[in-house]
Amino acid sequence: MTDSKYFTTTKKGEIFELKAELNSDKKEKKKEAVKKVIASMTVGKDVSALFPDVVNCMQTDNLELKKLVYLYLMNYAKSQPDMAIMAVNTFVKDCEDPNPLIRALAVRTMGCIRVDKITEYLCEPLRKCLKDEDPYVRKTAAVCVAKLHDINAQLVEDQGFLDTLKDLISDSNPMVVANAVAALSEIAESHPNSNLLDLNPQTINKLLTALNECTEWGQIFILDCLANYTPRDDRESQSICERVTPRLSHANSAVVLSAVKVLMKFMEMLPKDLDYYGTLLKKLAPPLVTLLSAEPELQYVALRNINLIVQKRPEILKHEMKVFFVKYNDPIYVKLEKLDIMIRLASQANIAQVLAELKEYATEVDVDFVRKAVRAIGRCAIKVEQSAERCVSTLLDLIQTKVNYVVQEAIVVIKDIFRKYPNKYESVIATLCENLDSLDEPEARAAMIWIVGEYAERIDNADELLESFLEGFHDESTQVQLQLLTAIVKLFLKKPTETQELVQQVLSLATQDSDNPDLRDRGYIYWRLLSTDPVAAKEVVLAEKPLISEETDLIEPTLLEELICHIGTLASVYHKPPSAFVEGSRGVQHKRLPARAGSGESTDSPDVSQSVGGATEAAPTVIPSQGDLLGDLLNLDLAPPAAGPTVPPSMQLGAMDLLGGGLDSLLGGDIGGSPAMGAGLGSTPAVMPTSLGAPPVVGGGLGDLFDLGGSVGMPAGAYVPPKSVWLPAMKAKGLEISGTFARRSGVIQMELSLTNKAMSVMTDFAIQFNRNSFGLAPAGPLQVLTPLSPNQTIEVSLPLSTSGPVMKMEPLNNLQVAVKNNIDVFYFSCQYPISLLFVEDGKMERQVFLATWKDIPNDNEAQFVIKDCHLNSDAASSKLQGSNIFTIAKRTVDNQDMLYQSIKLTNGIWVLTELRVQGGNPSYTLSVKCRASEVSQFVYQCYELVLKN
Amino acid sequence: MISQVFILSSKGDYLIYKDFRGEAGKDSISVFYEMVTALSGDQPPVVMTHKDLHFIHVKQGGLYWVASTKVNPSPFTIIEFLNRLAALTKDYCGSLSEKSVRMNFALIYELLDEMVDYGYIQTTSTDILKNFIQTEAVSSKPFSLFDLSNVGLFGAETQQSKVAPSAAATRPIMSGRGEQGGKNEIFVDVIERLSVVIGSNGMLMKADIEGEIRVKCYLPSCSEMRIGLNEEFSIGKSQLRGYGAAVHVDECSFHQAVKLDEFDSFRILKVCPSQGEQTVMQYQLCDNLPCAPPFRLFPTLERDYGNRLLIYLKLRCDLPPKSSALNVSITVPVPKGSLSLSQELSSPDQSAELQPKNKAILWEIPRFPGGAQLSALFKVEVPGLSSASLLEVGPVSMSFELPKYTCTGLQIRFLRLTPTQPGLSQRWVRYVTHSDSYTIRI
Repeated sequence: MTDSKYFTTTKKGEIFELKAELNSDKKEKKKEAVKKVIASMTVGKDVSALFPDVVNCMQTDNLELKKLVYLYLMNYAKSQPDMAIMAVNTFVKDCEDPNPLIRALAVRTMGCIRVDKITEYLCEPLRKCLKDEDPYVRKTAAVCVAKLHDINAQLVEDQGFLDTLKDLISDSNPMVVANAVAALSEIAESHPNSNLLDLNPQTINKLLTALNECTEWGQIFILDCLANYTPRDDRESQSICERVTPRLSHANSAVVLSAVKVLMKFMEMLPKDLDYYGTLLKKLAPPLVTLLSAEPELQYVALRNINLIVQKRPEILKHEMKVFFVKYNDPIYVKLEKLDIMIRLASQANIAQVLAELKEYATEVDVDFVRKAVRAIGRCAIKVEQSAERCVSTLLDLIQTKVNYVVQEAIVVIKDIFRKYPNKYESVIATLCENLDSLDEPEARAAMIWIVGEYAERIDNADELLESFLEGFHDESTQVQLQLLTAIVKLFLKKPTETQELVQQVLSLATQDSDNPDLRDRGYIYWRLLSTDPVAAKEVVLAEKPLISEETDLIEPTLLEELICHIGTLASVYHKPPSAFVEGSRGVQHKRLPARAGSGESTDSPDVSQSVGGATEAAPTVIPSQGDLLGDLLNLDLAPPAAGPTVPPSMQLGAMDLLGGGLDSLLGGDIGGSPAMGAGLGSTPAVMPTSLGAPPVVGGGLGDLFDLGGSVGMPAGAYVPPKSVWLPAMKAKGLEISGTFARRSGVIQMELSLTNKAMSVMTDFAIQFNRNSFGLAPAGPLQVLTPLSPNQTIEVSLPLSTSGPVMKMEPLNNLQVAVKNNIDVFYFSCQYPISLLFVEDGKMERQVFLATWKDIPNDNEAQFVIKDCHLNSDAASSKLQGSNIFTIAKRTVDNQDMLYQSIKLTNGIWVLTELRVQGGNPSYTLSVKCRASEVSQFVYQCYELVLKN
Repeated sequence: MISQVFILSSKGDYLIYKDFRGEAGKDSISVFYEMVTALSGDQPPVVMTHKDLHFIHVKQGGLYWVASTKVNPSPFTIIEFLNRLAALTKDYCGSLSEKSVRMNFALIYELLDEMVDYGYIQTTSTDILKNFIQTEAVSSKPFSLFDLSNVGLFGAETQQSKVAPSAAATRPIMSGRGEQGGKNEIFVDVIERLSVVIGSNGMLMKADIEGEIRVKCYLPSCSEMRIGLNEEFSIGKSQLRGYGAAVHVDECSFHQAVKLDEFDSFRILKVCPSQGEQTVMQYQLCDNLPCAPPFRLFPTLERDYGNRLLIYLKLRCDLPPKSSALNVSITVPVPKGSLSLSQELSSPDQSAELQPKNKAILWEIPRFPGGAQLSALFKVEVPGLSSASLLEVGPVSMSFELPKYTCTGLQIRFLRLTPTQPGLSQRWVRYVTHSDSYTIRI
């Protein structure tokens, strides 16, 4: 009695028979019947008609039967949603069964039934199962949250399952931890800003502990999750590396590769002179070599990964050349990959060995492989100069075999060798010419023609040779035609007397008888050159050629960095970023390697000029997105910042805030209208003031009302410079960002206009700052809720906190920003007026002021002159107060008003000033005293800005 | 994350189809089959793409084991998983064939359900799985202890020695549930794969050995097993112990269930084998062959008058006299355009033929005793024979098996089960070295 009988062909009344059997009283018979149904289902027969009958079998205490029924349900519930409801009761009951196997089974199956109505019933059982005493049930429930999230994300959030899932990361059972991590990772991928997987040193520690205990598959989830973490410093990086390294000797290659990924990424952060760095490099080689002893499928995948690793860090495998020598029984695709890696690893130390191998390969049977081997010999010659001679003689030996494709391939590479080492190996030309007739591939013909043209003066019968090609000119491919044209012109320039006829012939063939515009144009150019100025022609045609590069088909560095972050995934097999082949938002997030700590790289941002004493133009500098310069910025994973304690702008401050917002808008509008703008920090307003009047997205709605009310008598608010373009569309694939900064009722805001000047819709915006002098950091995610369609502009106001990491910038108020969207990540830098940081409680006690003023050494005092200011001292004082510059005392001596003012910065630095206003004199004198004298310059700029606007 | 798993017969019939995430349609099966059958030999078959669906597959037991995915998972994970799935199917159903999969589809569905949830791999360990699996395996052939007619492991003749009957290792692990009196057997195989390149001057240019210790366990209860290796076993280049005949490997990796607390000092592996087959240890050795390469070739090439090429091969087997090599086959590439072959071989059981498609002579020797020397003379008719054609001869490549022999010298000193089960368990240790990449350049 075997199951295979279920597959026997369908008879007419089969469904009917099955129905009868399903309703049988005997358990055995029922079970057999369900098996038959499933067998039919597998081969693709429609057995949905039996749905009610199968569901009837669900209430059983026979686990085997139950599993079979559930299997059926998962398959057909979607097509029969109404009937699936019939099963709900049993599911809910099973979720409370004393047997954990049944509880887990029920919760697992319910999650797989993708019917909305069912999900409602799923919530309660799922909640219980997430807290079940049995780890098997818990781990199943953890996965179920991911399933439910896929069907109805909102429901999962509303029900608070995400928090429960987060708690499971600290579960005592490693299997539960692994599944929770996997589920969270997946959910987090569809919400790039959700901050779900909050990786911090504590959670990382938990994960590392679970790593040692869980199954190999769980280890993979955890390692992949670790790879997304960015350690704070090199020490943390090293300690994680130390705990991950033992995974390298795991028997499961997937575990090994995931560990390699983590190590390759975190190694970036280790200083190269560290002993540990060297140790780690040594430890990486053996597991990679081991992968090559697996079956060919795994070997191929491994080689694709090694190809990346070798490009990034050739030192890891530089001594392991031999393992990449091909084996007789390797499949061809493995051989080709090995060859590629061999060339990458070739160096002076091992070149002899490599050449001997390549020579052997060149006599093998497989044509593709032989061709590639011959090319490889050429590439060795170009890469390792010392070996060039030997390579050339090897190639000549190969040409002697007269095997057609070997000869052609050899000629193609010899051409490159000639270019790399001019005037060295031309003695072989005679040998090459012997093989002229056997060349039938365009590339080889073109190469040969190039050689003849280039060395026409040394080949006695060059004209004959070229003439022979000319006979079938129109049958040649374009590549050959172009080459022939150039070669004959070269020949003519070298031997003008004998070849005039030939050159006329080729020019007329190219210009008059050809339909190919490229060929015609090149023909005409030569023709005119030759007829107007033969000397110039000589200079142009026989010009010195640029050197050819050693390495070909290297992967572009940015792509390589991204691919290194995806080691061990499909991306590393395709050598394409995941966004190129994964649909939708999942996995589209670009990953970058972290920056090396301790090296000077991170601070070497492009110099933003800010000359002292003048109102300079702070032109926004667009930082090139490539390159390591940016250190820390690259480091960003563009996850939103940890939700800081910053007060959301409009919610709590109520009317005051609205008022502030409204006034600012009013003020902004006025300022934008006046053409006298442009002094100080704001550069010439590129975005017209209309955008200024637009209310910020958050909390601006009511502000408009106050605008209308026009409260003229109110003290003026803080000055907001107009928006300027920070990131031109050209440099950001169509995204234009302009913006400004404002301080409204104690909340610092970055106001941005995002304009889509590209053709496609932009989504998934996120923002991140580099460390900066005052620890400015986004206090929330960038709120771009709807996709930005082409030509649309959206105004966003981003609240900022000052609790971010601090690093002194040059100039002090420089801010480097990274903005991400679905297309790419872009970097720019901008400067903020320091008045942004003047806090509301900056009014100092008089006594304290006096004491402090005396206390600060005179060296720290700086004097500035503010010219062309026509306010009286009271107006100035009230204007400055709007920007949190508080007047503490006023003294009048000889028609000269002296205002003593205090300012407090967000980081607690006090700035004391003395402003002298002479009646009738438009020039003010400002003395600034501060313990941190660097800020004086910027304080002065603020005065100027505020007073003049 | 795995989206679907399916098993197809070599003809493309659906045997098993399981959709884990409901994101791809069932038509992907036929799409896959079309793609895989349309592949040419030189395209890497492992990963294939159709629209946004990626297929990763392995071929085992003549069946396609396929996983599809829509995201960017680790192909290593999936290949390892598919290999495990195949191994588990073999463990549970006894053997791996279209028939056994068809007969046990319910069991395989059940296995898949426990192994993968929503595309996340949960477990592949028989120890864990056996707690969940309800369905009993159906064996394609009732196991009989007396069925010794089969050829033994790796072609060894069963009569000649104490090689375990091969059928013993191909029964389902779970079928013993009812009939507890069955066999409590355990098989430990030391399997080495040798690949060698010998230069035209007879120098050993490259040699590596990939070895593994594989345990196949039929013991129902989990008792600890201690496997003792050679005491002078050393790992890594620096760590040399004692003098002389130390057994040395470069790299070693172990199954995660292996306990190594006695390994450093006594070279004992402790493992509680779960039912079924598992590789407890893998090791590699590069470039440093502890023994002489098993075969040496002395070739002579000669251009006879006219268009005849004479290839005279003398092949010596350098194994110890007690051992011998089996199923030795030697491939000698010959110039293209070779027309016919006449040969003189040194014994009648050998055979040789010209394979025009591969442009090679295939010389086969069923059994080659250690210390012996065989020779062959091939006369090949090649129209238009030139001196350049001589370059096309070679390299010679060989494949063979060496039963009861390990090139590293790795031996299993003892195999102890604790608590001892007197009389109940039978323990088998088998050694074999394979090579299908033994190249000798001419």
